[in-house]
Amino acid sequence: MEKLADRSRLEGKGAGRRKALAPDAELLSREIEAAHSLSRRTFLAATFALAAPVLRYVPARAGAPSALSVSEVAPGVFVHQGLYEEQSPQNRGDIANASFIVGKDAVAVIDTSGSFKVGRELHAAIRGVTDRPIKYVINTHMHPDHVLGNAAFKADRPDYVGHHKLQRALAMRADSYLQSNKLMLGDEAFEGSEIVLPTVLVEDKLSLDLGGRSLVCEPQKTAHTDNDLIITDTATDTLFLGDLLFSVHIPTIDGSIKGWLSLLDELATRKAARVVPGHGPPAMEFPGALDAERKYLSTVASDVRKLIADNKTMSEAAKTAALSERADWKLFDTFHVRNVTTAFAELEWD
Amino acid sequence: MSRIFKVGGLVSDVGRRTAIAVALALGVAGMSLPAVAGDEDLWPSLRKEVFGERAIVEGDGLIVIDAPERAEDAAIVPITMRVPPSVKGALKSLTLIIDQNPAPVAAAFTFGPAAGDGGGERRMTTRVRIDTYSYVRAIVETSDGTLHMAKTFVKASGGCSAPAPKDIDGASSDLGKIVVKSFDPALETTPLREAQIMIRHPNINGLQMDPVTRAYTPARFVKTMTVNRGEDLVFRVETSISISSDPHYRFTYANTKNNELDVVAIDTDETEFKGETRHKGL
Ligand SMILES: [Zn+2]
Repeated sequence: MEKLADRSRLEGKGAGRRKALAPDAELLSREIEAAHSLSRRTFLAATFALAAPVLRYVPARAGAPSALSVSEVAPGVFVHQGLYEEQSPQNRGDIANASFIVGKDAVAVIDTSGSFKVGRELHAAIRGVTDRPIKYVINTHMHPDHVLGNAAFKADRPDYVGHHKLQRALAMRADSYLQSNKLMLGDEAFEGSEIVLPTVLVEDKLSLDLGGRSLVCEPQKTAHTDNDLIITDTATDTLFLGDLLFSVHIPTIDGSIKGWLSLLDELATRKAARVVPGHGPPAMEFPGALDAERKYLSTVASDVRKLIADNKTMSEAAKTAALSERADWKLFDTFHVRNVTTAFAELEWD
Repeated sequence: MSRIFKVGGLVSDVGRRTAIAVALALGVAGMSLPAVAGDEDLWPSLRKEVFGERAIVEGDGLIVIDAPERAEDAAIVPITMRVPPSVKGALKSLTLIIDQNPAPVAAAFTFGPAAGDGGGERRMTTRVRIDTYSYVRAIVETSDGTLHMAKTFVKASGGCSAPAPKDIDGASSDLGKIVVKSFDPALETTPLREAQIMIRHPNINGLQMDPVTRAYTPARFVKTMTVNRGEDLVFRVETSISISSDPHYRFTYANTKNNELDVVAIDTDETEFKGETRHKGL
């Protein structure tokens, strides 16, 4: 409580102005806020930022972890935006969005970023906002850039919540995820990272009560992966899509392109005040935010289908399919060929 | 990474190669990625195990291997092996080896009379798992019994331990389904035509951990496939866990009046799967 009060004081009239804005204007201003968030949203990091503006973080040896920068995209809904990069020693796995929601009684975390160390800074960001207990750590899906920070919350003894297939998916991939991330991050940035399996498996629909607000978790059929979970904060009508929604960062297919496209059709009929993507800005307009991703995936699917119908091979498809999308996405050259390969292996059985 | 090369009491080359593959598949639970991948030269010992003291001519152009320089998806790396039109006569065998894989011998083909004896480029394409940075080699045995090799280096990681397939529950529903297509050449009199075989099979490689028991899921993969045109053998292949899930082959064979193919695949559970060319409807 005290800390929340502190925050309002620190934010001063900024917070008041935000509340007065109409929803659409608010959304616009949020993007600006994201860019100029240092004074208002990342006051927590300010101490460190002022002391050493060049440092992205303070090494553990120097004391407590610094706090991740976060944007409050709706009352009590905080999002840290990951970088549009692959894992590296420099970014320490901070490449996916990580969020937390503060209720009257408890806090829920949605995705924990890509390493123990970044997870710990997410924890510090939460503690800068509230001292309420962290009761839930929810993972939107299995990918390491969303789950490797889970270990940073162990001392809070939260329920780790995930899709009912998340446990199997993570357990099967644990060794290879840890090995490959250790290689990509380097020993120092990787240190402390581990796979923490979910303790609550969502079979159907599950509502988590935070006091005065609840989060609804809905497991999906195979799309981005076979363990995608959608979370809705009912109090603010904020939709957390995890990697079912990419913006700016090219979508990556690790499940089913057909399943993903049909899920996007279904999602477009929903209503929400805003959506938080797995990679992209902290918050986006809904359902317009889905358009670019749907265009990419449907272009890949239709180009690959054409090539299969013409008896072309997977290697030929890798060289030609959906290159028209290249200018629209960051990391296109890193992930596109893999997407085409995955789509080809799926669609050739149609 | 522990590797087993000695498999005693086996007579034929092909049988021995498969035995090596199987032994490796079963012996490597708990393997780990080498920290610095692909730096160890495994070829001399591997070569001795598979080909004994036989001479192998490298880089004489009788065989060409195409693979991506960097495997974007290490669990599905397309590999094409080509024998140029200048090479005459029937081919005896073709062996695909991935040096650094737990089961280095990915596939060992032996050809029959329906494979064709030239008159164009002969090709074989399949998809493999590549565990780490590795040389990938194709060794062809020509009609005179000599061995010729081409190699290429592929940068990949985690292809063997990657769980397969991506949608586990979706894929088990049509296990063993085989789709065979034969493509009509542009010119009816062309000596070679092309066909494609797709087998729905997870090719579980024994390197995936069961989350409940923490034990590795036992390997189950397609170990042999025989392709016939009528009474004549096109090819027979012995395969290992280095072949991707949903095994895929695209290859040339002799173009005649009857080009229908019959395919029989057998997996390590001794389950037999059959397929044939679809008669082309209109
Ligand atoms: Zn993801």
